[in-house]
Order: sequence, then structure tokens, then C-alpha cells
Amino acid sequence: MDELTLTVVFLAVLLFFLASGIWVAMSLIGVAAVGMLLFTSRPVGDAMATTIWGSSSSWTLTALPLFVWMGEILFRTRLSQDLFRGLAPVLRRLPGGLLHVNIAGCAVFAAISGSSAATVATVGKMSIPELRKRNYPEGMITGTLAGAGTLGLLIPPSIILIIYGVTVNESIAKLFIAGVFPGIMLALLFMGYVVVWGLIRRRRGLEAESLEEIGTVKQVLLLVPVVLLIVAVMSSIYTGIATATEAAVLGVVGALVLSALQGSLNRESFMASLLGATRTSAMIAFILAGSAFLSLAMGFTGLPRGLAEWIAGLDLSPWMLIVALTIFYIILGCFLDGISAVVLTMAVIEPLIRVAGFDMIWFGIFLVVVVEMAQITPPIGFNLFVLQGMTGHDMGFIARSALPMFLILIVGVMLLSFFPGIATYLPEAMARR
Amino acid sequence: MHILFARLDRALNRLYTWSGYAAAFFLVAIGVLVCANIISRLVSGYVPGLTQYSGYAMAASSFFGLAYTFHHNEHIRVEVLLSHLRGQARWFAELWCLVAASVVSAYLAWYLYRLVYYSWLFQEHSEGADATLLWIPQTATVLGALVLVVCVVHRLVRVAVTGSVGKGAGGDG
Repeated sequence: MDELTLTVVFLAVLLFFLASGIWVAMSLIGVAAVGMLLFTSRPVGDAMATTIWGSSSSWTLTALPLFVWMGEILFRTRLSQDLFRGLAPVLRRLPGGLLHVNIAGCAVFAAISGSSAATVATVGKMSIPELRKRNYPEGMITGTLAGAGTLGLLIPPSIILIIYGVTVNESIAKLFIAGVFPGIMLALLFMGYVVVWGLIRRRRGLEAESLEEIGTVKQVLLLVPVVLLIVAVMSSIYTGIATATEAAVLGVVGALVLSALQGSLNRESFMASLLGATRTSAMIAFILAGSAFLSLAMGFTGLPRGLAEWIAGLDLSPWMLIVALTIFYIILGCFLDGISAVVLTMAVIEPLIRVAGFDMIWFGIFLVVVVEMAQITPPIGFNLFVLQGMTGHDMGFIARSALPMFLILIVGVMLLSFFPGIATYLPEAMARR
Repeated sequence: MHILFARLDRALNRLYTWSGYAAAFFLVAIGVLVCANIISRLVSGYVPGLTQYSGYAMAASSFFGLAYTFHHNEHIRVEVLLSHLRGQARWFAELWCLVAASVVSAYLAWYLYRLVYYSWLFQEHSEGADATLLWIPQTATVLGALVLVVCVVHRLVRVAVTGSVGKGAGGDG
């Protein structure tokens, strides 16, 4: 068989394994083994064991379970109520009223959790019933929540940025810092949309929330401990005092203290958070191990090099390339979850991006924003699943109501491409320190 | 006979749970090792190999967690097509996935075992400051992978015998 046929066979096997429902990590390992059998005469199994051991025992990976654990601990505290009670009095006067709580709440929770599903669940637990009670339109409640929940991926700590950093060998600390401004930018864009919506619907008087009902501005103090924790974790990374992993330990300890002070820390919640974190990080580590092996196999197939040469031959401008990649990831995101999409493609895309001369930190942020869109596009969108469970609406309704947020994310990608400094300014400033 | 199987089923479920506890233990160990690293730096003492140890704890935590996570249905898979299948077609698809998963995990466990065996045979040391004998931390990955094999095959047998696309543990640990 010639190389082209082999490549086609290889890709067909990959698609078949994934689409038929084999667990992603096992698909990756199986496909990689098939790929190596087809393309080389090297001992496949031993290469696999060495690669998987190497990637699984990597020190940089240790930030992952710790940040997951931190989020799991805080997920089990009173934070959900505190976010609503603290933010509602402050934001109620803005046009669009308490819908802003959805967005600001997601942004704050995103800064302590790396997962978008957890962000949606935590914020929504309190805000959905409260907003419903005040007759906000269902479409706006679910739409803003679905959209703003995706900030969990971008605003550090971010699981997907850790995965990207480990996969392409870039500094996780830099990636985290790079995610700060784009995250704030997207939150402001979401809020801008709610303001415009609120101004148009002004006569419905949504902004007139009575003070007695939602309490006073002083309640914002409820959020002080959480904000302190966020600032401590982020500034320890930014100043270079701590590595990403060390900041994660700081985060875990801080989260434990915080939940102890609130009285929500007991043996049961401690074990639940620990075991939850264990499962999530085992799931992700398995995928990463599989992807390390797949990257090795991909190298032998010549596919990444071939694709990079082909794209280079097309003589696309960087703009065209970014547009093409955006569309590619949006389509991929319809079928794969964010983590799998990143892990699966980076083996092929990384050489391409390096050849095209993109800044790898910037590309990481770009990638995460594009993957954020995948969270709210049917048929596979994790935020849609979570909201389906929480609101009882069907997938189509939620996806439709999240459509404006999807468009805002596209605007976000455009801004990020026109002004790359939004992502690169802070990490560069950090490097100059 | 039936009672025997039910007992075996319960014993295996306990095995996955204990494997999960071991994974959780190593997750805490990562935190403790990183703390130790910070403290040793603060008092400007240097303990060689702490970063490598946390890497080993990471590997141990991930692999011991595999079966436990599988049992809780928390490994990601693409379910678009599966969710459209009904009845026997769904059952066959699930069997195919489980057979493939059994093969892959057994393959993984076998070659991880070979890795450990050769590390032990040649008394290989880590290249880091810790100079640990590599077969010691590597053993954790084999044990974890083995429990995963047991867990996947267990599910395969149950789905094949009962004819229903039974899920794993569900709620309790």
C-alpha cells in the first residue's frame, strides 16, 4: 500500500473508533497502535509503555488534579448563594438587571474553577430560581448562563489551558496569565449584550428591583474571601513566587480554609470533593496519556508534516489560516468535547502553527475561545447538557437562546485576532519583570 | 451459582472503590509533596527529587483512578451515534465498545508490565536528582491498569450475560 492509502486507512480507523463510542482515551491508544503498525516496523507496545509512562509521570501535569480539587471543594460550599446575594444588589441597577448576576457570577466562579460545566451548575443553582421568580424571560436566563459559563474554560485556573500547555510544552503560568484579559473582555462583551437588550426592553421595568427583596450593597462583602483567594493564587503566579502547581496547592489550602470557615467542611464533603477530583483528573490524565502515544504515532505517519507542507503550499495569509482553523474547530466542537478536540488535533496542528509563525501562547488562548463555542453548539455541548438538566428545557431551545452568546464569542475571536496584545501583553510584561 | 456471581460482583465493586481510594491518597500526596517543596525552599534547604516524586504520585493517582472512574462512567466517549441506537443494535454497539476497550486496556497493562520488568531487570534509575529505581513507581501504573482490565471485562461479561446496556456504579462509592 502506498502512503496515501495508509493515511486514509489510519484516519478512517480513528473516526470509526471515536464515532462508535469507544472511550476517547482508549480510542486514542488503539488508533495510535494501529498507526504505528501500519507505518513503522518498530516495537509498538514498548514504545507505547515508555511514552505513556513519560507523559503520566510528568511534573507539569500535577497542577491539573490540584486545580480540579480546588474547584470541587468550592463547588460544595455556600458559594452559590453568596455569589447571588453579593452580586445582585450591586448589579441590579444596570439595564438588564439581575441577568448580569449570571455573567459576573460565572466570571468569578471561573476564576476558582477550571471547568465550564461546574461554573454553569454552581451559578445556575441559585440564579435560575431567583431570576424565574422575578419573571425574566427563560431564553435570556438560559442563554446568558450557557454563554458566560464557557468563561470557566478561559479564565484561569483553566483545565483546558493546562492540557494545551502540557501538550505543546508551553508554560502553564504564562498561559494562565494570558487568559486574564481575554476572559474579562468576553465577560464585558456578554454584559454589553445584556445592557443593550435591557435598554431595548426598558418599559418592562426589569431594572427596578426592590432593595428589600435582594438586600443591600453591603452584601458584596460576602465575596471578599473568594476574591482574596483568587488574587492570592493569580498574583503568586504572576510575580513568579510560585509555579502553577504551587499556586494550585495554595488554592486547595485556601479553599479548605474558606469552606471550614463557612462551616461546610466536614468529612463527607471533603471525601466527596477529593474523590470527584480523583475521577476527573484520572479521566483527563488517561486522555493525555493516549494523546502522547498518538502524537508519537502521528510523527511516523508523516501526516502532520504533510499537512503543514500542504497548507504552506496553499500560501494562505495568516488571516485565512485563522478563519479556516476557527471553522474547523467549530465543526469539530459539534461532535467532540473541548478536551478531546484539543488533544486530538494538536498532534497535527502544532507543527502547522509553529511553521506559520504564530505565538503559541496567543494560539492557546485563541483555541480556548473557539473551544468555548463548542460548549454551546448542539448536538454535543457540555453546557447545553448541564442546562438541560437544570432547567428542563430541550436542547434546541437552549441552543437557540445561547446563539447570541455564540456570536459574541465570534466577535471575541475577531478582537483577539486584530489585537493579539489582549492575550500577549500580560505574559510579556510578566517575562520582563 | 447465582449467589456466587452476586458475591463476586460485590467484591469486584469493592476492588474498584479501593483502587479509587488509593488514587485519592496519591492525589493528596501530590499536594503534600508540593508543600514540602515550597517549605524546603523557604528554609533554603534542598531536598533532591521532590518534583520527581510528585510526578510519580501523579502517575499513581491517574492509574489507580482509571478503574474507579470507569466504574462511575466518567471517562469521556462520543455518544452521538450510540444514543440513536435502540434495542439489540444498541446492545451490539455496546458489546463492540467493551470488547475494544478490553483489548486496549489489556494491551496497555501487558506492555506496562514489560516496562516494569525491564526496569527491574536492568535496575534502571531515574535520570533526575532522585535517582529512584524506576520499577518502584512504575509498578503503580501496572496495578492500576490491571484493575482497569478487570473492570472493563467485568462490564463486558455483565452486558453480554444480562443483555442490557447496564451502567456501572451510579451513585454510591
